[in-house]
Amino acid sequence: MTRKSLALTTTLLLLPLTAQAEGTLSLYNWGDYINPAVLEKFTEETGIEVTLDSYGSNEEMLAKIQAGATGYDIVFPSVHMHDILYQLGLLAKTDIGSKPGFENIDPQFVRAKTDPDAAYCLPYAWGNVGIVYNKALAGDIEGWEDFFALGKAGQKITLLDDLRETIGIGLIMDGKSVNSTDPAEVEAAADYIISNLDGVAAFTYDSVPQVISGDVAAAHWYVGANLYVSENPDTIGYVIPKEGATMYQEDICVLASAPNKENAVKFMEFYLKPEIAALNVEQQMNGTPNIPAQKLIPVEIADNATIYPDQAVMDKLQIFEDLGRDLQLYNSEWTRIKTAQ
Amino acid sequence: MNLARRKVLQLIGLLGAPTAFLLVFFFGPLLIMLVYSFLTPGIYGGVDWVFSHLNYGRILGWADTRYEKFDPVFLSIFLRSLRLAALTVVTSLLVSYPAAFWISRMSPGRRDFAIFLVTLPFFVSLIVRLFAWVLILRPTGFLNQGLMGTGLTSEPIEFLYTDFAVVLGMTYVFIPFMFLPLYGSIEKLDMAQLEASADLGATRIQTFRKVILPATLPGIIGGSIITFIPALGNFIVPSVLGGAKVLMIGNLIEQQFLSARNWPFGSALAMMVMTAVLVLLVVQLRLARRGGA
Repeated sequence: MTRKSLALTTTLLLLPLTAQAEGTLSLYNWGDYINPAVLEKFTEETGIEVTLDSYGSNEEMLAKIQAGATGYDIVFPSVHMHDILYQLGLLAKTDIGSKPGFENIDPQFVRAKTDPDAAYCLPYAWGNVGIVYNKALAGDIEGWEDFFALGKAGQKITLLDDLRETIGIGLIMDGKSVNSTDPAEVEAAADYIISNLDGVAAFTYDSVPQVISGDVAAAHWYVGANLYVSENPDTIGYVIPKEGATMYQEDICVLASAPNKENAVKFMEFYLKPEIAALNVEQQMNGTPNIPAQKLIPVEIADNATIYPDQAVMDKLQIFEDLGRDLQLYNSEWTRIKTAQ
Repeated sequence: MNLARRKVLQLIGLLGAPTAFLLVFFFGPLLIMLVYSFLTPGIYGGVDWVFSHLNYGRILGWADTRYEKFDPVFLSIFLRSLRLAALTVVTSLLVSYPAAFWISRMSPGRRDFAIFLVTLPFFVSLIVRLFAWVLILRPTGFLNQGLMGTGLTSEPIEFLYTDFAVVLGMTYVFIPFMFLPLYGSIEKLDMAQLEASADLGATRIQTFRKVILPATLPGIIGGSIITFIPALGNFIVPSVLGGAKVLMIGNLIEQQFLSARNWPFGSALAMMVMTAVLVLLVVQLRLARRGGA
């Protein structure tokens, strides 16, 4: 390499550094859980460079943060994990609840018990966990009973590899709370799942491609399946089980260890804008707590009853709470389910 | 400075770095796990500094409280893992042994290329390679399409999410681990000895049993150990190819540290794996000593 081209390369290498003059923001989010266009727009408006790392579960994120992972500004915990992070003193106060624009947020989504005034976190997105099915193989199934009947009839089905979601189905079928801490109820719920394991090919998150290809007739999966339904409307469908289902909600939280707190709060304020929340929904196809944003999203999403169900269905959706030590009841039953075959 | 002292200093200089490395990165974590395995789980992960023997009680039979109950399932998962890991060793050996022979007879140029090919999979992410196996093994996958296309079967065969898929996947992942030590000992095999054995009237089978096998035994033992240990603790393959239904001890440990937030119990399970590995190494040392004598 000649000296001249070396100098040129050095200049090129330094270019991104000058673009970072406004600072950086580091997000730690679930995989594929934010529209990249939202981040691009944020950088465009503020000049702040955004980096994004991803995790696969609340517990994975908590374990990393507890183990001392630093450098992240914002995390996206589920509501019960929001409570845990607060109790462990891992969150930074942002006063987002008293910022202009917070009136856009539907108050029923300020759910975390430890954060009733949204002094820490901003409700981000929500959805339900139901069934994605192959129309040719599963017919028009409506709920968990139909789902497990497929397995009994020799078809293949998959469940999520998540102890609370899967044992939760058993609790719902028994008419119990998915936050039950009664050992007998949890055991009965696990027994329900065990008695329905025929045809359960796997406990997995990677089921949608197999439902599309017909390797699996139906799968326990998230409302985000609507993204794939919109691409393959004749092949697959998504349903909120009529017996009831679980719902989830994630909040945007700033970590106490965040190196760029100011930028993190800027991002929260940016996300209060209805057009930004709507931009995210457009790609994510999930629920937003931002009321004016719901007017801006494409009509086929707003009218989709599996994404924005009516109040009667909403009332049948249960959200997970932190169980503290009683999580161990589920842990033992989960191992029993996994080894029952 | 006298000579002996200089020697000692030299030795410290040479061994100091690796010793410090082992102390910090091997014994340190091991000690932490050992201590954790005798503590109470913290509500949100981590540990509470309260002594408890119940983590071992759950595995071995004396625990009976609201949260810690003995369940024979933990031992049966452990036995299953031992079985699957042993099967993996056998299948990788069956594939690698003839392959190592074949490659050791190649011309030097082709031989280097063949060895490069054996290590080639390391250049691609393990997860990507395992998902490629999902595409091959699933009911509408390449393998079933091929079998049905040639008329060998009329219905898709269940390959995916079975013990078979797990052993196949682990064999695939660990073949390089088995191959390289095997190749090391097979390459050193003295061809003149084989000719001598044949000249003295030994049949091919006798030559294999009395000459080839003893000469390559160190490679077989080394390869088996280095395959068995990671196979025993593997959790990615059973999770992707076993559909998390073929639960191995590695999956159970991962579950304790992540979704179940029970680090002490996970540590106790890990200690059990550690013990099994140690026993195995002692057996290997004995075998090696007998081989050397």
